[in-house]
Parts: sequence; structure tokens; C-alpha cells
Amino acid sequence: MKCNKTLLKLTPLFVACTLAVSGCSSTKVQRVDANQEVALSDKWNAKDSQLVAEAMINDMLSFPWVNDHLQKEGSKPAIIIQSVRNKSHQHIAVDTFLNDLKRSILRSGQADFVANKDVRKEIRDERKDQELNSSLDSQNEMGQEYGADYALSGTINSFVDEQGGDRVTFYQVDLRLIDMTTNREVWNGQKKIQKLQERSRFGF
Amino acid sequence: MQNNITTKQHFAFFIVIYLFFLSGCQSTPANKNAILLAQQGEFESAKQTIRADYSATGKSKLLHYLELGMLNHLQGNYQLSNQQLTQAQQIIEEQYTISVSESALALLSGPSFTTYAGKVYHRPLINFYKALNYNALANQPNADRQSFLDSALVEMRQLDTYLSGLKDTTGGYDDEEQPSGLDQLTEQIDNLTRPLFAPNDLLKDIEYKDDAFAHYVSGILFERSQELDSARIQYQRAIQAFENGFAKQYDINPTVISQIKKDLIRVMEMAGGYSNEVAQLKSELEIATSQTAQPILNILQDVGIGPQRKQFNLLLNVDEEAKALVMTPILWGTRREQQAQMRWFQMLYADTSIFDLIQNYATGDISDVVMGGLTKRIPLGPLWDDAVDIGLISALQYGSRISVTYLEPLKQEIERSEVWVGDQKVANLDKIYSVSLLTLQDALNNANSEIQIALAREIVKSLTAQKAISATGLDASFSGFAKLATSVVNAVTASADLRQWHSLPAQINYVQLPVSKGEHTITLKTYLASGIVLEQSETIQVVDDVTLWHTRTFLQETRIETPDSTFL
Repeated sequence: MKCNKTLLKLTPLFVACTLAVSGCSSTKVQRVDANQEVALSDKWNAKDSQLVAEAMINDMLSFPWVNDHLQKEGSKPAIIIQSVRNKSHQHIAVDTFLNDLKRSILRSGQADFVANKDVRKEIRDERKDQELNSSLDSQNEMGQEYGADYALSGTINSFVDEQGGDRVTFYQVDLRLIDMTTNREVWNGQKKIQKLQERSRFGF
Repeated sequence: MQNNITTKQHFAFFIVIYLFFLSGCQSTPANKNAILLAQQGEFESAKQTIRADYSATGKSKLLHYLELGMLNHLQGNYQLSNQQLTQAQQIIEEQYTISVSESALALLSGPSFTTYAGKVYHRPLINFYKALNYNALANQPNADRQSFLDSALVEMRQLDTYLSGLKDTTGGYDDEEQPSGLDQLTEQIDNLTRPLFAPNDLLKDIEYKDDAFAHYVSGILFERSQELDSARIQYQRAIQAFENGFAKQYDINPTVISQIKKDLIRVMEMAGGYSNEVAQLKSELEIATSQTAQPILNILQDVGIGPQRKQFNLLLNVDEEAKALVMTPILWGTRREQQAQMRWFQMLYADTSIFDLIQNYATGDISDVVMGGLTKRIPLGPLWDDAVDIGLISALQYGSRISVTYLEPLKQEIERSEVWVGDQKVANLDKIYSVSLLTLQDALNNANSEIQIALAREIVKSLTAQKAISATGLDASFSGFAKLATSVVNAVTASADLRQWHSLPAQINYVQLPVSKGEHTITLKTYLASGIVLEQSETIQVVDDVTLWHTRTFLQETRIETPDSTFL
């Protein structure tokens, strides 16, 4: 009982102390390197996108289809990205991931990219406009487009396991490359990322 | 002499002020006003009201985003609505970590001084409305349809993760009701006497344990995207939850369960490999032949505005003869509100159980027993001397106000809703989700802990004030005046946490219709208890095998001119 009384007497002091410790907060902004990972949560972030793209393209280009194509056609293979479906539990900017993929392939110099359907339509509209408005020597002809040899597509999946404040998130990216002439799957790549997030139940 | 009169006048003035604050102030919350404005089609005024009263960075920032998210959804600003609802999700997630400093501050002020974290059933509703927004975006001209449809499914996967965690915590509706082990007669007697001995037992089975409706909507969206395994799993989870308690708890029509079983059969037949399960379900539903593959139209109708949480005040004082703390309700407001407050008090707090009456009889006199239905007594017994020593009895000399939440009895405003095509009625809509009952059951479920925390808070506040008076020496010269003044201050700060997401509907109705592909003009007729019939028409293009039409019906006479439906 005496303990209870002491506790009651100390309550105001405890409250004052916690208020003092909590202090004031302010907003602070600083520039950081775009390649530096800033992980505030277990969500898919820019670093994940970059790392997965680099790892998968390295794997893709190590498969024999590149050399086979060079020997057969005598030119670099042209790839079109069909779709990468987000089947995960997070909203992932798929376009950003696709751009990372393209950059990795183009940087390797071993393959070319063909613009996708929407971009091709815009370019065709532009060429039609050129036919009407550009000088003859600067016009680009219709029907001279480069057709893709291979189609890249895939999915991003995820699983979440959560217990209390701990959460394990598992992302799996599956990509496949299809020969557009034969429908043969010339490459299938997979990259997994696992993240652990620990949250405290109490804090100041 | 002059001084004496002035002191008496001040004293009387304080008593008047004190009585005023004891009653508490009841006013319509700004976010309720906002949805009432939206009901009249005044969306910009509604949003301005929210922005003015709920800061994007304050303690009620969650309400800022929830209400704006819903208003933009109703207005057809789907992208903006999703941005705001995403912010709301993030705020709820951040509240997992409880701030000790904020909790300590709340102990000396009130629960409304803490950051609002929402209710446990808000998260699934955020995912639900975000998914509806993404589907509406997918149907807009020149939209990246597949990407938006994928985003809607992302919301459903997040929802599944959340509900799995909720089921881990609450146990969900997985288990059939276990037999008590008593024989039938004993169990019947036990059921009859249970309310007398343990009124709190009546509050069992009102916890939000899982969300059958959310599982069902997930199933519809997964089926729409031809993810048949995910659709099957969600339909199975919905059936399990509805059958094992959700339907009973939220007064859902059993026809909804039959409909989901038909959906499950369809998905299993499409996926293949479930012939035994399909045969069993068909036998249960007495379906002889396979259903012909026909496009289906799912109609979800959000109806009305959810009930308002209100504040109910109690006076806490001391009965020195009985050595007990006594809580007496202070009835305030309209006659209907006062009746609701008294019923709430008698239902949840008053000394109406046999145990309470015997306890009152043992510690007080006959009048205490008679007054049982009007008061709640907390006998201190051997703790009385300690309460005197620490100054509690002295601190409560002028009483203290305790504020808790209550809800008025739910009004049955809707008689029925019907779907009409042309001049022909084709189906009735059934209730599939009740935000009204969720709100009521949440308030009932938290009633005991709310009053305990409120009681502890007012005692701490009174004691702290008492210590301050003693330290300044006012105790000796202006004892009564100082205590009354602190009681006034405490009464001003004592308030229940009435914050809530007000723009939610009162209930959601549902029906599924077989349709042909092409254009259909659908009319919803909502019959109100007042005799008014509300009509809403929409032209729907059915292009997919599974289509969802979602609309909001406000219970008012005038037709809403602004976009109020989401065609999926």
C-alpha cells in the first residue's frame, strides 16, 4: 500500500520528466547521393530496383542466347519490354524498374532496345507530321522501323510474414526472355530480396 | 465585509461555471458537418471545413487525410483520394509505436490530446476505397488499365496481410462455437442467469476479429483479374467468417453467404480440380446443374452516414459514510440524448447486478440499493484510510467530471433497396456490412476500459491539483475556493475522445446480377422508413465477365448532382 502512495506522489514528476525528454522536434532536409540507400521501411525502394536490375541483366547476358544471336544474325539482338506485372503487396513504380533494366542492358553494349507500343505510336505520329511539315531531306521514312528479336516480360511477387512488431518481407522478381521468331524461352532469371523490419511497441 | 461578499460572489460564479463544465459541451463535430455539406453536393465547402478544423500535422492529422480521401473519392478525384488515403495508412502504421510522453500527457489532460490512431476496422476500409479508386482510374479513357487493376490488387494483398495479423491477435472466426461442457438444462439455466451475475459477459463476441466483407470484395477483384486461386481463397475465408459469427454479429442476411458459395463454385469450376468440393457445395445449395457462364454485375451501395459518437458525463464524488467513490450520470442535451445517456449508463455501468446490489447493501443503506440503477459505487473498503492520507478524499470534495463515449440507439432509416432495369424490379439489395454496428460495438467493447482510464485520469488530476494547492499555501486561506477552482479546471479538460471517421456510410448493401455484355441502365430505389423513395440511375457498360458498380446513397430527398458512383 505504501508503494502505491509513493507511486502516486511520483506521478507528476514522472509526467514532467517524460515531457522534458520528449522535447521539441523540427524538420531537417539534407541532400544525399542517389545511389545511397535510405531505408525508412521495408518497402521496395530505389536501391532494390537498381540492384535487382543490375543482377538480372548480368545474369541474362551471361546466357548463350547473345552469342548465338550474334553468330546467326551478325548483329546485336533487339529487345522489347512487354510487361512486368506487379503482383506484390506493395505499390512498386514498375516504370522505374524497367528503366533500370534498360540502362543496365544498354550500358553492357551487348543488346539494343526497341521502343514499346505507346512510344512507337507517338513516334509514328511524329513521322506523319514530318511528312506534312518537314523538308524532304530531313524527313524520316515510314516502314523503316527495327523489329524486336526478343520480348522481355515478368512479374514481381512478394510474401509478408508478420508477428507483433517484426515483419519479414520477401520480394521475388521473375523475368523471362522469349525469342519472338520461335517462341523459345532463351533466358529465365530470378532475384530474391528479403527484408526484416523491427518496430518497438513503445517509444518517446 | 466587502472582501467577504466578493469572495462569495466569486465562489457562486465558479459554482455556476463548474456546473456548466460538468455538463460538458455537445456540438456537431466539423467532420460531421463536412459530410453533411457533401451530402448537399457542396464538396469544396466540405473540404474547406476539413482543412480548417483538422491540420495535416496535428493530433487529428489522420482525420484530415481520411475525410479528404473520402470526399475526393465521392467527388471522383480518384488519384488525389488515393494519395490522401495512403497518407492515412502511413499514419496508422506509425501509431504502432506508442509514445510514452504522449500517453503521460494524456494522463494529465485527456485522450483527445493524443494522436488519433483510428479504429481497427478503418484499415480494411482504406484498402477497400483505394481499390475502388484504382478500378475507377483503370476505366478512365487512355488510362494504363492493367497497371491500375494491378494496383487495386496490391490493396487487396495488403488487406490480406493486415487481416492475417488481426486474426493472429483475435483468433478470428476460425473455430466453431465450442460446447460449454454443461448439460442442456444446466446450460439453459446458465444462459438465463448469466445477465444477472455478469452483465459484462453480454459484451462478449462483439470484438472486430476478422472482416468477411473485405475478404469477399478481395475475391471479386481477384476473380475479375482471373487470379482464380486467390479469388477462391478469399471466397472461402469470407464464407468461413460469415458463417462462424460475422453475419450474426453484424446482422447480415444469410442470402449473402449463399451468393458467395455460388461464386466459390464458379471459381472452382473455372480453375478445375475441385470436383468433390463443388459437388458438396451444390448439394448444400440444392443446385442440380452447372451454372452457365454468364457475365455478372456486382452492385455495392454505400448508404447514409455512420452514427455519431457522443459524450456522456458522470460526476465523481465521495460518499464518506459508505467509504465509497460514487459516479452519478449528468444527463444533458435533448430528451432523446438524455434517455440514451441513461440507458447507456444503466446498461454498462450502473449497479444493477445482484453482486452490486448486495455490495451496496453491505456498505451503505437501503437508499443505496434503491439508487443502484442511477449510480455506480466503488467501495474503497480497507483502501479508504490510504485514500484519505494521499488527499484523494479531500481532492474530490467538490467532485470531478468523468467523460465517456456513448451512442444513441441506431435508427432503422432504410426499409429496403431494390434494383430496377427499365420498369421491372430485378432484385433486392441485402446488407453486407454495417459501419453503424461496428461503431456501436467498438464503443461497447471499449466502454469498461474507457471509464477505468477516465476515472484514473481524473483522480490523478485531482491529486496533482491538491498537491499544488498545498504547496502554494492556498489550502490554509482559500481551501474551498481553490479546490473548487481546480475542479473547474479539471472539468474543462475532462473530455472523451469523440474523434471518428465521419464520412463512412452507415451500411453497405450488395447484390449480384447475371447480365449480358453491353450497355445497361440500372436504377436503385431506396425506400426509407419515412416513406421517401430515393432513386439513382446509372448507365453501365458490361465488357468483362465480372463487373462491379459502386455507389453512395445519401438519405436525403434531393438528387445528388456530383459524381457519386464508381463504375468498375
